[in-house]
Amino acid sequence: MTFLEWTEGPLWYGASAIFVVGAAWRLFGILRLGRRVELSRPRASAASGALAAIVRHALPRGEYVERTWYHVVAGYLFHLGLFALLLFAAPHVAFIHDRLLGVGWTPLPRWAFIVVAELAFAGLILLWVRRICDPVMRQISDRDDHLGTWLTFIAMLTGCLALQETSPVLRGIHMLCVEVWMVYFPFSRLMHAFTWVLSRGFMGANYGRRGVSP
Amino acid sequence: MTPAMRILSILFVLGALLWALVPADALAQGAPGFQAGAPPGNTLGATSDAEFWRQVRQGRLGMVSIPDPYAAVLVRSEGDNWRALRNGPISYYGGWLLIVALLSILGFFLWRGRIKIEGGRSGREIPRFTLTERLIHWYVACVFILLAISGMVLLFGKYVLMPVVGKAAFGHIANACLQGHNLFGPMFIFGIVAMFLVYVRDNTLNGVDWNWIKRGGVLAKGHVSSEKNNFGEKVWFWMAVGGGLVLSTTGLAMEFPWIPTIIQVQWANLLHATAAIGLVAVALGHIYIGTLGMEGALEGMTRGTVDENWAMEHHDLWAKQVMDDLNVSDGRRLPPEPAAGGPGGGSKDGAPQGAPAE
Repeated sequence: MTFLEWTEGPLWYGASAIFVVGAAWRLFGILRLGRRVELSRPRASAASGALAAIVRHALPRGEYVERTWYHVVAGYLFHLGLFALLLFAAPHVAFIHDRLLGVGWTPLPRWAFIVVAELAFAGLILLWVRRICDPVMRQISDRDDHLGTWLTFIAMLTGCLALQETSPVLRGIHMLCVEVWMVYFPFSRLMHAFTWVLSRGFMGANYGRRGVSP
Repeated sequence: MTPAMRILSILFVLGALLWALVPADALAQGAPGFQAGAPPGNTLGATSDAEFWRQVRQGRLGMVSIPDPYAAVLVRSEGDNWRALRNGPISYYGGWLLIVALLSILGFFLWRGRIKIEGGRSGREIPRFTLTERLIHWYVACVFILLAISGMVLLFGKYVLMPVVGKAAFGHIANACLQGHNLFGPMFIFGIVAMFLVYVRDNTLNGVDWNWIKRGGVLAKGHVSSEKNNFGEKVWFWMAVGGGLVLSTTGLAMEFPWIPTIIQVQWANLLHATAAIGLVAVALGHIYIGTLGMEGALEGMTRGTVDENWAMEHHDLWAKQVMDDLNVSDGRRLPPEPAAGGPGGGSKDGAPQGAPAE
């Protein structure tokens, strides 16, 4: 068994199982906490409050624009870039078609892939640099934050280093890094990829029920 | 054998006999350039062998039936010259320059040691770099390091890495570095432009810098008066901007090689390598003096503040002005921080939160 076969075979299935089961277990744990029983009469809809919070918190508002523009811009650059790469990079579309779903879609052209990758990398570097430069961010960041950032960076980097698609070794290294990232994912703050909806929705529902727009 | 096959066989044998009877020189005249044992070219005419090959080496255009004019050039001597320069003097002397830079840093460290704050730490800090300045610095630093590592592998890897890891492994490494280098290059351009815009104000040369040079700068025994940036730091800034400009333009020429001519791309490659080696050599010194070489320097670029004594020793003119502005000339601490603001929610100037109030 070659290195690539190993990373695309047993290791891939093992990492995928840990990722799916771990993330589901974390989500189930959060949902199982449920909501506190509210005896007061609701002043407005909790559901619309949840929806409003999810949507509104995606954009900076009012007096916060000046303070938050940096991480809003860098955050969108990175996250949108990452998802575009994840779902529309040609090798990923082929992998999804061949190994996961059996269906594919039109991938990004190469030039668009490169532009999106550069924006995603720029966003990630800007976010990490802020984490180490900003006094407040530095105080509230711990090892998990840095490790999650670095694992994501390395997974993206090894993917782009294998861009020419001529080296099975480079592809195997990328697969290995992605699998390490997938194993780490459920046990770290990388879970925010799934939990952000729950946390914003929960807060929005609580406020919305009281008639407050968060 | 059928009658038709028999006739064809007889014709083939007759044709072969006729071919054998034709004189060899007649064939040579019919197909110039393919004489046995001789180089191609009609060398029996007025043109000598030497003249023929000279024209080939000078890139004389021949004739081809396809529209690509470059296909009509048998040997592109410029390519050979480019390769000889890149793999010769640039790699050789460039490699030595980096080794000399490292040895110079080591020698400076052995001579001066870690430059301490002479008066010791005062325990009071003044703001030096804003959050915006620090963010841009570290962004450029991150991208520069990625580019420097991948670029050095591409330039020197054949001589340094390949003998160690082998040809096959080096092929994979070089392949990866090329992709990474091409990817991160455009990100560097945005960083260097932002760095120029943010830092240029504090890096204009003036009479104070001339005084700093006359008194020996970092080699002087005592401390020489300086503004926020001394002459050495200003020169580094302009080298980074100038070198960054060269790297950016030549890098773009190589990223889009169909826009310039091939000779321009070759020159771009040589300039790119030369500028990169120069910048990396100076950057090594910058990294050393900003971290290991000088006590109290790094925190200016991490926390955004420096110790008052450090500031007075190394950048006294600037430090006095800052302390006057803060109205703390009597050695008081930073004024109370305003509410969080600026990029990332920190203070407007990026100074640390919660610094003790006066």
